[in-house]
Amino acid sequence: MGALMPEAAGVDVLHEAPEIVRIRELSKIYQQGDIQVTALHKVSLTIHQGEFLALMGPSGSGKSTLLHIIAGIDRPTSGECRVQDVLVTQLNESQLADWRNQNVGFVFQTFNLIPVLTAAENVEMPLLLTSLPAKRRRELVATSLELVGLGDRRHHLPRQLSGGQEQRVAIARALVTDPRLIVADEPTGNLDSQSAEDVMMILQTLSRQAGKTVIMVTHDPRAAAYGSRSIHLEKGELRP
Amino acid sequence: MNIFSFVTKNALRNKRRAALSILSVAVSLFLFVTLLVAMREITQPPEDVGSSLRIAVRSRVSIADQLPARQLAAIAKIPGVAIVTPFTYFGGKFKDDDGMGFAQFALDPTKMLGIFGEAKIPQDQYDAWLADRTSCIIGKDTAERYGLKIGQKMTLIGTIYPADLELKIAGIYSGTLDDRNCWFHHTYMDEVMEDWGQVGMWWIRAESAEVAPRVIEEINAAFANSANEVRAETERAFQMSFVSMWGNIKMLITSICSVVVFTLVLVSASTMSMAVRERFRELAILKALGFRRRELLAFILAESFGLSMAGGLLGAGGAWLLFSNVNTLKLTGGIFPLFEVTPAMLGLSFLTAAALGIIASIAPAVSVARMSVVEGLKTLD
Repeated sequence: MGALMPEAAGVDVLHEAPEIVRIRELSKIYQQGDIQVTALHKVSLTIHQGEFLALMGPSGSGKSTLLHIIAGIDRPTSGECRVQDVLVTQLNESQLADWRNQNVGFVFQTFNLIPVLTAAENVEMPLLLTSLPAKRRRELVATSLELVGLGDRRHHLPRQLSGGQEQRVAIARALVTDPRLIVADEPTGNLDSQSAEDVMMILQTLSRQAGKTVIMVTHDPRAAAYGSRSIHLEKGELRP
Repeated sequence: MNIFSFVTKNALRNKRRAALSILSVAVSLFLFVTLLVAMREITQPPEDVGSSLRIAVRSRVSIADQLPARQLAAIAKIPGVAIVTPFTYFGGKFKDDDGMGFAQFALDPTKMLGIFGEAKIPQDQYDAWLADRTSCIIGKDTAERYGLKIGQKMTLIGTIYPADLELKIAGIYSGTLDDRNCWFHHTYMDEVMEDWGQVGMWWIRAESAEVAPRVIEEINAAFANSANEVRAETERAFQMSFVSMWGNIKMLITSICSVVVFTLVLVSASTMSMAVRERFRELAILKALGFRRRELLAFILAESFGLSMAGGLLGAGGAWLLFSNVNTLKLTGGIFPLFEVTPAMLGLSFLTAAALGIIASIAPAVSVARMSVVEGLKTLD
């Protein structure tokens, strides 16, 4: 990946694309002992297919909570979250697991690769839940790793890769099931500037060329600049 | 990659811990099998083909009490008695042994093979023994242990009776379950004891297994209300009376086995909990990727089960291999002549290992089932 500058987003064009995420009056309240902490307060938001949305805000503003609810790994206290035609907040745990496997790719700040598996095996993990034959799984893994520029690192263990390479493997794992949504929680938080730029370029390319909807939580305005839209959360509420 | 290789890689990710876990199960199950075999050997002594025909007759008061030699005629005429011989335990000390090296018995040598027919001895040696009342025959294990040879003399120093025996070895027998004993003429015992007119007990061979119970009844009845009441019983019952002298050995060994297994459950559960706790974050990632609760539980169960069964195979299989290939008679100083690991014991050990694997996985499986993805992601590596 070259050191490319972020390109200006075609916002108007994207807003004509179909809605993929519709959030209405979403609230999340945590109970911490006797104290109730409001992480999200009546958040409403629409995200269009192919958008690269940067969720920004200070620590504790609720951006990760919002991302987790959209990705189906957390539940709101009230409100609804619809992804395409699926009311995610109504799915039971088993249905959510299937839905996540088919529709969501995860990229985390700390990569979260399984240390005893090679890059290819890590990327293959989500495919083990599908009925695809082993040969087809291997083809998809190879394609995903090629897409992130790590075709020659398939047999390396995570500890044999740099941080940037690990994050690219994580992106390949997020891509391999061809999900509609890619959610990224501070994907550049643990990377040097060059690796961060490489990762952001990959995510931008996925959004622009492959039509993937990317929702990214970040503190970093430089990372947010790669997105097609940025929104700010503060004290659990969206700020204009 | 498939699920099996994923589980295997996880189980072996910390090789030292996996090896120690397997070894702890293996050592415990080795001990478990050993205790089971020991209990079986003690409570169910091995039988040979003549066991069902042999009847032991001893004093009703105590095995240490003598019986009058005149009982012979009365026993011999009971219908169903094929052969009867006096039988007295001498309990002498040989060389520096403390009397535990091998047992010595006085009996009628002409009846010996008729009752203890499993003993194999060359005819010329047997004839030589019959011909010399001061001679004896010894088991091949004793001959090997002490380097004794035919024609050699051996002195047994009396520890129970006030007499010493000077015996010439006429032959060496083999083929019994315990080829260690020394057999000599009861007439020689009578002679050194100055015609004492007593015997330790009687051994009888019944004409058939069917008549044995009636023969036992009639022998007991024949001496009832006499000054020397007897207890006639099958060889098995006689052996079991020795077992009862050990106290409730079965309960003791069962208790030890239970403690071994219980401790093992605690150790294994702790190890599995530790292994899973270290991977909480990874398991949360798997959940996020779409793995359901039941699949994660299956991973944990398979890992725990695999480690336990590996330990079970090593421990119980090792015990079977070891005890099948070593001479436990020599190894245990003659306490356990036949130390056999039965298929039932192997089955019980593998079942124990399997149960152990399942039980050890319960606590970590429950904590993983309760864990939300978000909580798991917050877990530090």
